[in-house]
Amino acid sequence: MEAGVDVVSAYPGTPSTEIGEAIASIAEKLGIYFDWAANEKVATEIAVAASWSGLRSLTMMKHVGVNVAADTLFTLTYSGVRGGMVVVAADDPQAHSSQNEQDSRHYALAAEMPMLEPSTPQEAKDFVKRAFDLSEEFRLPFLIRSTTRLSHQRGMVLLGEVLPNRKKGRFVEDEPYRYIQVGRIAIRHHKELNDKIERIRREVSEGEDVNMLEGEGSSVGVVASGVCYAHAVEAIRKLGIKVKVMKMGMSYPFPEEKFSEFVRDLDTLIVVEEPDSFVELHARAVAKEVNPSLRIVGKKSGHFPSVGEYSLGLVIKGMATALGLNYKVPDTEIMDKVSSRAPPRNPTLCPGCPHRSTGYALKRVLGGKDAVILGDIGCYALLFEKPFSLAKVSHAMGCSIGFANGFSISTDQPVVALIGDSTFFHAGVPALLDAVHHNRRMVVIILDNRITAMTGHQPHPGVSYTATGTPAKAIDIEKFVRGMGVEDVYVVDPYDHEKMEAVLRECLNKEGLSVIIARRECALLTVRRVRRSKGRIVSYRVDPEKCRHCRVCITMFGCPALKDTGEKVEIDPSICFGCGACASVCPFEAILPTEGGLNWLRDGLGV
Amino acid sequence: MGWVCEMVEELNVIIAGVGGQGILFTSRVIGEAALRKGIRYIQSEVHGLSQRYGSIHTEIRLGEKVMSPLIMEGTLDLMMALEPLEALRRVRYMCKKTVVVMNDHVIPPVISYLEKMEVPDLQEIIYLLRKVGVKKIYLVSATKLAMKAGDPVVANSVLLGAAAKVGVLPFTKEELMSSLSDLSPERFREINLRAFDLGYENVSEI
Repeated sequence: MEAGVDVVSAYPGTPSTEIGEAIASIAEKLGIYFDWAANEKVATEIAVAASWSGLRSLTMMKHVGVNVAADTLFTLTYSGVRGGMVVVAADDPQAHSSQNEQDSRHYALAAEMPMLEPSTPQEAKDFVKRAFDLSEEFRLPFLIRSTTRLSHQRGMVLLGEVLPNRKKGRFVEDEPYRYIQVGRIAIRHHKELNDKIERIRREVSEGEDVNMLEGEGSSVGVVASGVCYAHAVEAIRKLGIKVKVMKMGMSYPFPEEKFSEFVRDLDTLIVVEEPDSFVELHARAVAKEVNPSLRIVGKKSGHFPSVGEYSLGLVIKGMATALGLNYKVPDTEIMDKVSSRAPPRNPTLCPGCPHRSTGYALKRVLGGKDAVILGDIGCYALLFEKPFSLAKVSHAMGCSIGFANGFSISTDQPVVALIGDSTFFHAGVPALLDAVHHNRRMVVIILDNRITAMTGHQPHPGVSYTATGTPAKAIDIEKFVRGMGVEDVYVVDPYDHEKMEAVLRECLNKEGLSVIIARRECALLTVRRVRRSKGRIVSYRVDPEKCRHCRVCITMFGCPALKDTGEKVEIDPSICFGCGACASVCPFEAILPTEGGLNWLRDGLGV
Repeated sequence: MGWVCEMVEELNVIIAGVGGQGILFTSRVIGEAALRKGIRYIQSEVHGLSQRYGSIHTEIRLGEKVMSPLIMEGTLDLMMALEPLEALRRVRYMCKKTVVVMNDHVIPPVISYLEKMEVPDLQEIIYLLRKVGVKKIYLVSATKLAMKAGDPVVANSVLLGAAAKVGVLPFTKEELMSSLSDLSPERFREINLRAFDLGYENVSEI
């Protein structure tokens, strides 16, 4: 806002989603254009076009989203930008909500895209503003790299003035072939890009305000980037040591001269960064030139782990060990022994989740059949967990159908692809086209919960409203899939277990391709709607006279509201949403509604 | 940075529980109270997949000396647990100065039934926390009281009320209530404040 951004587009992904949610909430008021795009590549292209029209634009994505946008980004640095353009990559060390912990800083280097790395909430704002100005000055997109502990940090931030923005720009070709990249033109632009990067190194990276030096009079230096800088500063304070610090706010292009000066007279350099060695690799190269005897403490030396995220305790321990300091770190081993008495509580499908019903039906139909079940990215990925243990594969957006294509050729096993509605639009479509074209033998289940659920309910192309609440054309998945040429298409409410099982059985017996659209909105949305309309959530209950403790509800369905007392099963009324989906699971009809309660299937709620 | 600051050097708080219990909301209420009082604060949370009925917690750090968004093991001042097993899971953060304020409603995860694990009950959890050597343990029937107030989702506000009474947080009852009131969605305001009061009145040291 303070940079006067005009156009913002993104695809949701933890830990980047909240930027979009925040912009969506004020977009109309400030006249900013915002949308959730079909995927990160499309979002990036929207932002690029806005920039080429002279507007300021922003796109943000989780680290793996950069992979999707990469094709566009790698050539964008050749073309350059007109209006300032910023790309935010939200990395997820520790893979809290991700399939890997890839480090986006490598993208800056590979795509020759200058990068700023904020360390605090204040910098997260200030660096974005700075990046817009620099982007316009050097006519290059700028990457802002964040990590989960910065992205999901709250703190105090001093605000500046909000700049006015513009509604429309105008596409102008500044010079012939500016935006055409092929052969000799591309080579010319590549050379130009190298020159720009060199200028940015000299004028920004080597300067005073992004890569900062603190402290003096010590033979020990600490270099830290991103949120690791915050850990490092507090660790230094807690250890009470005197060291020189280089705060690395821009590691690409790398400030070679400044860094050379920093390490020239040091004995020891401690590198604090996560999750990969990026600064450390540069540091080794520079040290070889200017200070070959420098002792570098980092991942390679074994003082810091090469996987997972850093914490304050971990940084203190690493520094203390490296410097031979006697700092009393609490004995976590005994503590961990105590805490191991708490059973693991991994993320699980919510009460009322329609995916649980789909998983239940699929598990029953398959029995012990040796099928290849392919999961994808979304809440339903949790179907790999017990009691379902269904999906054997969960990789990247759209992979389920892509892999299914390959498995249908490579094996004789039944092949089932599970994919969510938003993921289907994002990256499942090309893979399904391939399956249709070759009439591949597989069952594709599109778990259509009418929203992008896992990231917190963002609309997608199948929804009738946009990010800012304006009406939108909803793409009907059934018509769309039929239009692609799929002949066997079924739309089933997953709560209707009987019908779902019948359809699954039929599809699994077919030779060709079939698509089942398991359509029921995310239970969290249904509950929200009931609450908003002043309706009451009334829990289901178990009749203790009828319950024979066969535990089918737990071993086959596993809703978190179910409680096993050892003799009977009970329902925890503080967790149960009162959907009634579990009622049909009980062979003894012991699960019953409480007075005033609903049955979502029977009462048509959530479809 | 020019903040008018109350003198708090370093105060570390964890709010733990099961995804869906409103931990993020309660953390925001505490952050807002800090902001209004000019106490520097940093808060770390996790969203997305990790939040779906799994074990979650937020880390809130108040004071002039804090920089890192993550709390170091063995330096916790206040553990607010909406579910007792989730307090137990985080004893590595606890120490002699830790005060635990805990909901008494145990929710065993489904996996414990599937794997037939032995899940410690409330009494055993309390015994283990004592053994670890925390300073004090307070209990409140947050879930029961929330249901009495009309909706189990406000158990978080009951717990906040209980924490206000215990007094580790550098805020008065009124300060927390006013930030709770202002952050509450309209239709939850009244019930949240009622829940807060119930927690304030019904917490007891054990």
